Amino acid sequence: MISDPRDIALVRVLQVEGLFLTARPFHGAALRLGWSVDEVLERSALLLDRGVIRRFGAALTPGNAGFRNNAMVVWDVDDKDAERAGAALAGHPRVSHCYIRPRFEGFPFNLYTMVHGNSDEDLEAVMAELAESAGACRWKALHTLREFKKSSPSYFMNYWPELAGSSKA
Amino acid sequence: MSKHMLDGVDKEILNIIQGGFPLKAEPYDELGGRVGVSGDEALSRVRRLVEAGVVRKVGPFFDARKMGSSSTLCAAHVPEERIEHVASVINSRPEVTHNYQRDGVPNLWFTVIASSKEAICEVVSDIRERAGIDRVHNLPAKKMFKVKVDLKVE
Repeated sequence: MISDPRDIALVRVLQVEGLFLTARPFHGAALRLGWSVDEVLERSALLLDRGVIRRFGAALTPGNAGFRNNAMVVWDVDDKDAERAGAALAGHPRVSHCYIRPRFEGFPFNLYTMVHGNSDEDLEAVMAELAESAGACRWKALHTLREFKKSSPSYFMNYWPELAGSSKA
Repeated sequence: MSKHMLDGVDKEILNIIQGGFPLKAEPYDELGGRVGVSGDEALSRVRRLVEAGVVRKVGPFFDARKMGSSSTLCAAHVPEERIEHVASVINSRPEVTHNYQRDGVPNLWFTVIASSKEAICEVVSDIRERAGIDRVHNLPAKKMFKVKVDLKVE
């Protein structure tokens, strides 16, 4: 959890659209916050260490990076085996997301993964490898038919960084 | 832009910045240095990859739970003739970050990130009412093993 007003101010500013497509993004953040560049870098590194920021980097659009064949693949694994199977699936380089979720009526699957391939055959082959390591009694690939929305969430956008930027905490 | 239009330097850049954008005052100089081009060229290549839609976003990715937020995946089954209307109601909520039609039953899958579980329930019931759908399955993760789109571009 983050509660320090300076961390919150930093989080807000790091989300500014296009900031990281400038030559000196951390300078840009420092200017907006009225901080030194060193403080921006140090606090950012701390948030990264604490896992508040999972990573700095780029998100690909998998379809445009050559991974055109993607599916949400769901697995029905014995509850007692779900932790092991989840860790095994998550360890595969073509799996980007892996969660245990509740089963529901008509849908007996408890492990959810996003799996990426660069052709139908490649995706099939990856799923076959995964099926072996999951030890699932059944599984199902749900292919994307349409993308209606894909965006990044915004945090603390109703919070004013001016309040935190005036003095060094 | 397809993968075939990416040259070797683009692919190296993609494989580096997916995992870790340099936490440095001059990050593009650092990135360029690692792939053998100037900082200016590294930046213009990354901009081009964004414009071409290969890269969706460059920046920080937050852990919703450590930010004090709750997140969930929701599923609903909607007849094909109503799906666009329902999808537009779902998309109208800023708390919804992803929304996909997939094959099978249920056919509509969307993710919600909000300040608390209660806030998520409010979003879901608002969507149910306005879209006129009876049932939305709310499927919060019991455990997260991985969230990282880090695909080796070859």
